[in-house]
Amino acid sequence: MLRLAPWFSALRSGMPPLRGLLPLVVLLALWQAINPQGSPYFPPPSSWWTGLSVLAKSGRLGAALSSTLITFVLAIALSCVLGGLLGLLLGRSRAARRALGPTLEFFRGLPPPVIVPVAVLLLGYVQSLKLVVVVLVAIWPILLNTASATAAVSELLVEVSHTLRLGRVATLYKIIVPSAVPAFLVGVRSAIPLAIIITLLVEMLTSLPGVGSLIVISQRQFHSAEVYGLLIVVGLMGFVINAIFVTIEGVTLRRFPPRASYMHDN
Amino acid sequence: MRAKLNIPGTLTLLALVALWEVAVRGGAVTFDYLPAPSAIAVAFVGIVRSGELLTATLHTLGSVLIGWVLALVIGGALGLLFGLSAFARRWFLATLEVLRPLPAIAFLPVALLLFSFSLTTELVVMVYASIWPMFINTMGGIANVSSRLNDVGLTLKLSPTQTLLKVLIPAAAPSILVGARLCLGLTLVLAIIAEMIGNPHGLGYAVVNALIAIQPEQMFAYVLFIGVLAIALNALLLQAARLLLPAYGRGAVETV
Repeated sequence: MLRLAPWFSALRSGMPPLRGLLPLVVLLALWQAINPQGSPYFPPPSSWWTGLSVLAKSGRLGAALSSTLITFVLAIALSCVLGGLLGLLLGRSRAARRALGPTLEFFRGLPPPVIVPVAVLLLGYVQSLKLVVVVLVAIWPILLNTASATAAVSELLVEVSHTLRLGRVATLYKIIVPSAVPAFLVGVRSAIPLAIIITLLVEMLTSLPGVGSLIVISQRQFHSAEVYGLLIVVGLMGFVINAIFVTIEGVTLRRFPPRASYMHDN
Repeated sequence: MRAKLNIPGTLTLLALVALWEVAVRGGAVTFDYLPAPSAIAVAFVGIVRSGELLTATLHTLGSVLIGWVLALVIGGALGLLFGLSAFARRWFLATLEVLRPLPAIAFLPVALLLFSFSLTTELVVMVYASIWPMFINTMGGIANVSSRLNDVGLTLKLSPTQTLLKVLIPAAAPSILVGARLCLGLTLVLAIIAEMIGNPHGLGYAVVNALIAIQPEQMFAYVLFIGVLAIALNALLLQAARLLLPAYGRGAVETV
């Protein structure tokens, strides 16, 4: 039996009162009412809907949305698995951390968008390009957070496993992983908006099918109502993805509550 | 930042570069357009000599600076307002929370529609994206000031302005500085994105242009330079934060 109440409360907590939405509603209503007909750049909100339904009827919206979402979901899943595993390995080995430190610092510092042209150059305009690029960008926060949390697991805890004569695998599952989960989730939290942005950027730059290329096509044809409508679609997509993540995070953190030890180094 | 040089780390980095060189020269790698590091170095000297690198860097750094200052001012002012006023939080915060997660890159086509290919387009996208960390950190910093500090202000009969300047802002400073640093990183990222798609100038455009012209050596030279530039900017800001707030030491500034 699913218990929806705690999920909902996890979602609701930290949200400001809903009456704060009033200014937004008033703004949109005024926009609709004043309706700057002369200006093709500020189409009234009702026409955004018309623009979207044209796109939806032709089937282009659905195809683009599913292409973008599939890329995003696969990329985040791959980044979680690869980033989590590599982070654990790196965190457990001091020598590997020393050896790879400067290289990883460089990749962490490299602004993510520049990875797109590099990948285009090396891989060409293929479908898998999107996935590769997004994984290359989204994996870093997950990997680095997991590694530093794993490295910071208190020596006392590791000694507990010696005392209890736990094997290597059991130590990993019972001591190390639970301590690294909260930091891993922080990594995923920062990877998600990055992954959305980079998915859209790849689509915009390469015109591979997706919401990003759809917005750029509408913009080039000056279909401004479609551009605004797609902006709302992207916003809603981000909102739903975030809501799903917050729910998963809340449930996971109840299972693996953050320990004070991973906060401090040494 | 470590004061001591990480010798095994530096050696690994050099070894990786050497491996790359050998792999490309020896034909062990099958990518059509992967240049060798030595060829990239030659291209780098080329773009330095021709002045292209300097022009592009100055454009990007200039717009980053303008965008960053704008984002600091707008984000900081909003953060102060929402941190101090419960009325603002009650009646306006939800609106901002709806706007905040909108991916800034989706604004790029809207900005292009309104301002076409220009610096304004670049700045609109940069500022939209980077006011948020400043806003959240300022608001959070002000809201989390211990109420005892407020009482100190009352005891000393400070005016509201004095309380703000002498108690609240100094107490919130570490959080605000973290916001300012995150903000700078975002401004650079968005500047490069905007230059790739919206404003044909600067480093982002240089990378895409080298891609279209199929000049891989030049493209890699720009990409690596952008990486070094980003790391240098971040280090500079960390250093500045440490000078500004010696009392808070490393912990307060380096988290996040």
